Amino acid sequence: MSANGDPRERPFLAGDPFAAAAGPDPLAPWLDALDRWAPGAGLRAAVAAEIAAAPPEVEPEEPAPQAPPIEPPIEPPIERPRARAPRLAELELDADWRRLARWVGEDPARRLALVASRVEGWDRFGLAPGVLRQAFPYFYALYRTWFRVRSEGHARVPEGPVVLAANHGGLLPFDGAMAVVDLLLHGDPPRLARAIVDRWAGSLPWVNVFFARVGQVVGTHENFERLLEDGEAVLVFPEGVEGIRKPISQRHRLQRFHVGFVEHALRARAPIVPMAILGSDDQAPILFDVKPLARLLGLPAAPITPTFPWFGPLGLLPYPVGYRIVYGEPLRFHERFGPNAAEDPAVVRALAGQVRRAVQRLIDERR
Amino acid sequence: MKAVLVTHADLPLGRRIVKLLWHEPGIGRIVALGEGPAPRAFDAFRVGAEPRLVYERLDHARQRSVSDWFRSRRLREIGPEAVLYVPRHGVVPEGPPVVARVPARIAEARLVLHHALEHRSVRALVALGSAFVYALSPGNANHLREDSPLWLDPDAPAALRAWIDSDMLFQAEAGRARSAWPSGSSGGRRLRVVLLRVPTVVASGGYVYLHPLLEGAAGPRPRPAGFDPLCPVIADKDVARAVAAALASDAAGVFQVAGRERVPLSVLGRWTGRPTLPVPGPLLRVVALGAARLGLGDAALDAPLARYGMSLDVRRAAAALGFEPRYRIGLARAGDGALRLEAVPAPA
Repeated sequence: MSANGDPRERPFLAGDPFAAAAGPDPLAPWLDALDRWAPGAGLRAAVAAEIAAAPPEVEPEEPAPQAPPIEPPIEPPIERPRARAPRLAELELDADWRRLARWVGEDPARRLALVASRVEGWDRFGLAPGVLRQAFPYFYALYRTWFRVRSEGHARVPEGPVVLAANHGGLLPFDGAMAVVDLLLHGDPPRLARAIVDRWAGSLPWVNVFFARVGQVVGTHENFERLLEDGEAVLVFPEGVEGIRKPISQRHRLQRFHVGFVEHALRARAPIVPMAILGSDDQAPILFDVKPLARLLGLPAAPITPTFPWFGPLGLLPYPVGYRIVYGEPLRFHERFGPNAAEDPAVVRALAGQVRRAVQRLIDERR
Repeated sequence: MKAVLVTHADLPLGRRIVKLLWHEPGIGRIVALGEGPAPRAFDAFRVGAEPRLVYERLDHARQRSVSDWFRSRRLREIGPEAVLYVPRHGVVPEGPPVVARVPARIAEARLVLHHALEHRSVRALVALGSAFVYALSPGNANHLREDSPLWLDPDAPAALRAWIDSDMLFQAEAGRARSAWPSGSSGGRRLRVVLLRVPTVVASGGYVYLHPLLEGAAGPRPRPAGFDPLCPVIADKDVARAVAAALASDAAGVFQVAGRERVPLSVLGRWTGRPTLPVPGPLLRVVALGAARLGLGDAALDAPLARYGMSLDVRRAAAALGFEPRYRIGLARAGDGALRLEAVPAPA
C-alpha cells in the first residue's frame, strides 16, 4: 500500500531515487527553528543561499536491486538550438504595450510583450498576442487583488521543455489562469505556460476561441508532443475533470491521475515539475454533484455550491480566497528511463503515481 | 524528364503549375488537359510547329474520353513520364455523378490513377489532395501529421466524402510498396505515387481554392457562431513549387505542405472577400439539412472543419521533398487604395 493508501500506486520500483528525492526536507525543522529564533534576520534565506552555493554531494549510484534498468543506455538530452531572446530591458514597447504598462505596471507589461514578441500573427495553436494583451489586465487584477496569489519555487522550473503537473479544483479553471500568470510574472526568462485543456472545453462556443487565443491548447497527443518539441512549458492537470468537480469533503485530496503527460515527458526528455495550487479547492466548494443531471445535459458536472445555482451564473464566480502556488523539485524521469519507457504502461503508471505523491506532499506541507 | 501530363490545367492551380513547369529546365513537353477551352495564358507557350505545351480538351470524369486519350497514338508518342493530378477546384461545379452514385471527383481520381498505372511510360504520379480530410477533435488547435486519422464518419457531407475517398485511393497506392510508407522511398516500384495534402490555397487578389466553405464566388458565408477555426494557408505559387519539388525528388508517399501563416476563418473570409456571418449552431444545422433536402448540395456548413481549427506538420515534406514555403501571405494596399490579400516572396 502506498503512502496515500491507494493500492494502484504500489511503488514496484524498489530503490527508486525519485521516491527518496521527493521526501521531506531534513533541513526544514532547523530552518523553521531559525525563523522562530530570529524572524526578521533573514537567516533562513542566508542558509538557503549557502546550501545552494555549496557543491552538490555526489552519491555513488547503485543499481536498484529489484528493478533492472529498462533502457540501459541513457542518451544525452537533445540539444535544441535556441535563438537568443531579447532581454526585458532591451524591449521597446509600442503604444499598445505602453497603454498596458500604465494599467499593470512596467515589468508585467514588458514580460508579456517579450512573450508575445515571439509570435507573429497567430501561432500554430491559435495564440494571438493582441487578445493576450487585452485579456491580461483582467487576469492580472484577479491575480493581485481577488486571489492575492503568493508563490514560491519559480527557480525550480528549468528552461526548455518542461511539464508542470498541478492539482485541479474549484469548478472553473481559475487555478490554471493563475498558474499561467504566476509563471509569466516570476519566471526568468518569462514564459507563457501552455495549459492543456479538456476536449469538452474545445467544443464550447466562444470559450474554445478565447482559450486558443490566450495560449491554451486542447489535449490531443499531437498537440502535447508538438508543444514539448517547441520547448514550451506545458501545464497539465492530471486529475482532469474529476479534480474540478470533487466535493468539498475531498478538498486537498488528489483524485486519480491520468498518465498521458508522463508518456510525453519521457518521449520528449522533459522534466516534470510538481506544482501545488492551494486555494482553488475553496474558491467554489461543491456540496453535491448531481451526476444524473450532468449526464442528461452532457456536462462534466452539475454542481450544487452555496451560491450556485441559487444566484444564477453569478453563483459561479469564485470566492476571493487566497491562492498559494508552490513549485516542487523537478522530477527528471527521462534521465533514468529512456523514451522507450513511455511504451510500458506499468512504468508510466508508477511514475505518474510518483508525481501524484509529490504534488500531494506539497499540498500537505503548505496548506 | 521527357514529358509531364497535367490534369485540369485550365483551372487556376493547373495554370499556375503549367507556367512554373514551363520554366523548369528539366521538363521536356507539357501535356495540359482541361475541360474548357485553352486558357489565353497558354497562348504564348503554344507557338511554333512543335510547341512544348500541348493542350487537350477532355472530360476528366468520363471513362470513354479519358481512356481514349490515354490510349491514343499521340500520347504514346509523347510518352509522359509523370502525371500531375490537379483536382477540380474553384467555381467549377461538382456536376452530376457520372457513374451511379460516384461523384465526379472520385471518378476522375480513379481514372487518372488507373491509367497512370497502366501507361508504361509513366514513372511518377503526383496528386494534389486536400488537408480537410482529417478527423478534427473539438478545439481550435488540431496539430495534424500525415498519419493522423481521416474523417471516416458516414455522416460527412458528400463534398467532403469525395475528397476523403479520392485521398484514400492515392494513399492506398502510395502505401502499396511497404518501403514507400512511411520511409519516403519508392521501393523500386515502377510508379511512384506522391500525395500532397494542401490546406486552403490563396492567390494574390483574394482568390481562394480548396476550402470547402470559402471556395466559389465571392460573397458572405455562414459559419457556426462562437467558433472561429484556425486555417493554415498556402500561396498558389508555393503549391506549384511543391508539385515541382515532388516531381523532382525520388520520394513517395503522403506529404503535407503548407505556408507559414495560419489565419482564423473569419479573418481569411474578410481577406478574400467572403465575410463569414456567425449563425447559431442549431439554426445552421437546420439550414444545412434543408439545403440538402432541397438538393442544393450538402455543404459542410456544420462540419467539424467549420468549428475546429488545425495546423499541419510539414516537416516530412521539408525533409523528403526539400520543400520550404517561400511566399508570405497577408494584406497589402493595392493601387486603388483597397486592402487585398497578397502573396509575396519572403525576404531572403
